[in-house]
Amino acid sequence: MLDDELLSTHLQELRRGTVVLACLLILRKPNYGYALLDLLERSGFAVDANTLYPLLRRLEKQGLLTSDWNTDESRPRKFYRTSDLGEELAHTLSRDWDELHAAFRTLKGEP
Amino acid sequence: MTTSTTPTLTDRYIEATLRRVPSRQRPDIERELRTSIADAVDDRLEAGVTPAEAEAAVLTDLGDPARLAAGYADRPLHLIGPAFYLEYTKLLRVLLVTVVPAVAAGVGLVRVLLERDASTVVGDAVGAGFTAALHVVFWTTVLFAIVERVPSPKLPTRRWTPDALPEPVGRRTRYAELIAETVAMVVFTSFILISPVLRFQTDADGDAIGLLDPWLWDSGLIYAFLGLLVVSLGLSFAKYYVSPSIPLAIGRAAVELATGLTLIWLAVNDRILNPAFVEAAGWSAGASRWTNGIIVVICIGSLVSAVVNGLRDYRRR
Repeated sequence: MLDDELLSTHLQELRRGTVVLACLLILRKPNYGYALLDLLERSGFAVDANTLYPLLRRLEKQGLLTSDWNTDESRPRKFYRTSDLGEELAHTLSRDWDELHAAFRTLKGEP
Repeated sequence: MTTSTTPTLTDRYIEATLRRVPSRQRPDIERELRTSIADAVDDRLEAGVTPAEAEAAVLTDLGDPARLAAGYADRPLHLIGPAFYLEYTKLLRVLLVTVVPAVAAGVGLVRVLLERDASTVVGDAVGAGFTAALHVVFWTTVLFAIVERVPSPKLPTRRWTPDALPEPVGRRTRYAELIAETVAMVVFTSFILISPVLRFQTDADGDAIGLLDPWLWDSGLIYAFLGLLVVSLGLSFAKYYVSPSIPLAIGRAAVELATGLTLIWLAVNDRILNPAFVEAAGWSAGASRWTNGIIVVICIGSLVSAVVNGLRDYRRR
């Protein structure tokens, strides 16, 4: 029987980095922090708010996302959007993911 | 967004987060965080909880503001990370096994020379060793914690190669030499520095007569000389820890040359023994001449051996 703590450590290790790719893909359509949190969760990429918010800023700083303040609504919202550079990274990461997937299938003896 | 009413939990949470991020990021982070929290609270309210409960639950989910702020500021949540940990423990080990025994031995020797009783000698030596260990650990840790936090100017980190594997015997021998050199250096330096107050010979007033020429202190040359010894010890450490390089070899050669030539110059000009001490000790007039002669011979010998070793190392490369 797998110990819960052991399981969560390994799951976390395996999923580390997938959130970045998920963000880059989702943010092809501009969105703001809290909505993204919800969207990610519903797409199967559960992430903590205190991880996601700093992550968005880090990606922005790296030039992978661009941002705009939308002040039309009652609350000012910072909308993030995947930049050209981010699109390029998303493409590379996706391809890498597919290759990994194929490699795993081979390992497991599936066609 | 300042309110004159009592600050809410959210205000306090945001305040606690912003305090820990660089000031130029604050307005932007505040606006975004405030909206995010308000959105999350609204969502919970729709589920039918009280505003206070909703706010508390949202902030609990966000977690410790210090952790959130560290994420925003891209600050590590550790003192010394994996990038520097190995170097840190290595340096710490070397300093502890060299400096601590050397300081303890040095202090012990001084107490023996001052003719203190055995318990004082041991007590002071142990105390000094303990203090030295604390300093070594503290300052090394501070240094590495700073290095960890300063944005590195892309230091060319040394790549590990199999060449760096420990040599079974040779390296350990060199390590022992390094320790011996450090101990000798501390003992020798302490002896020189305290020699003016050692009471081997006293004058009519009962004051100590120094073994070494007081001119060395008056001219400040003694400090320059000890400085050379310290630098040479530093270079020995460097030789042990970094891969051999031409600048390092030249530096070592220069320091060895400077030390040897300084000593020879002092001996030739009869600036080593204190004439008053020689007289008080009742040594013959030839004592100074003999001492100077021996020092010159030793220096020439060590200079020749340094040149020979340098050439041999050079040929091996």
